[in-house]
Amino acid sequence: MKRLLPFIIILVVLGVALCSAWYLTRSIPASTTVVGSQPGSPSPQRAQTAGSQAAAGQAVANPGAPGAEPAHVLGPATAPAHLEEFGDFECPPCGAFHPILEEMHKEFGDRMQITFREFPLVPAHQHALAAASAAEAAGMQGKFWEMHDLLYERQKIWKTEFDVRPVFEGYAKEIGIDVERYKRDVSSDAVALRIQKDGSRGHSLGVKGTPTVFLNGREVPFESLPAEQLRVIIQREIEGKK
Amino acid sequence: MAIGNRKSAIYAAAALLSLLGLTDAIYLTVEHVTGQSVRCTIVAGCSEVLSSSYAVVAGIPLAMIGAAAYFTVFSLATLAAFGYRVAGTLLTALIVAMFLVSLWLIYLQAFVIRAFCQFCLLSAAVTFLLLVVILMARRVKSV
Repeated sequence: MKRLLPFIIILVVLGVALCSAWYLTRSIPASTTVVGSQPGSPSPQRAQTAGSQAAAGQAVANPGAPGAEPAHVLGPATAPAHLEEFGDFECPPCGAFHPILEEMHKEFGDRMQITFREFPLVPAHQHALAAASAAEAAGMQGKFWEMHDLLYERQKIWKTEFDVRPVFEGYAKEIGIDVERYKRDVSSDAVALRIQKDGSRGHSLGVKGTPTVFLNGREVPFESLPAEQLRVIIQREIEGKK
Repeated sequence: MAIGNRKSAIYAAAALLSLLGLTDAIYLTVEHVTGQSVRCTIVAGCSEVLSSSYAVVAGIPLAMIGAAAYFTVFSLATLAAFGYRVAGTLLTALIVAMFLVSLWLIYLQAFVIRAFCQFCLLSAAVTFLLLVVILMARRVKSV
């Protein structure tokens, strides 16, 4: 028996390790998504967790706390698909998601409304708050989306800078806004309040990381954010509203 | 205490330590497989590190390789604690290799990715402690 004991211990640990990994793999996506029951057949990603999400699918979407008003939106309010992104300009996956969202916007046009919410991850990202403030200050002059695009497109350039203020002021000049007014707005209470309100909305919806995307009030699983999967989900949502 | 018993106790300590590393590596593997690690969170550094090209080796998540390594350490340490001498020799070689890989990964985090992931640092700390423990076991042998 003593000769067998170490092998029994090893097998028990192997079993526990595999069971833990299996349990965590199933439970993590289920606990972080509130995907509703969708018309049409499920995508392979959804099918993987469909069983565990069945109960969540019946849940009424949480309306959450109101974010900053007016929100930064693209597309008409009457669009059948409303996508709301909580993003952080310094977050690399958000930067990677930016061209995907642009592609979706071009593809679906007036059938989809996009809302961007500030969710700077402080202190994880040292310039995230400054970037969010820059975008909001540009928004004060009606150029939020222009600054939003520049910040994401040049994320790799500015995120390694020690002082990003002159860089963002350069962007403000580039998008053609009044730089002096931008400098005043970027540190204003109004801008800080907008960021805080978007953050509060995110927290009330259970947002813990970025990018977090909601489609018609239901969270889209992170693994479904690649273009080909997101396209199917949006299409399904639009068809469901017909 | 007899030398054999002391060595067994040290190997048993190494086995217990490796369970900590195994838990950490399983968590990171699951995060990687489910895509959670790729999302940015309030915890600094992890998403940068785990979404970097260094987090995957030949299509296999590095965390999964780590989990396999920690399980092998556990198995060898358990066998060594029960008196299998070959297991002790293999264990030393494996832990030294893991320690060198950990040093390389810390270098990548510090100077290439420029972000630290606390779960990766925990793994490095466990490997360092395993090295200390295994060197203690070697010392007992030379007494």
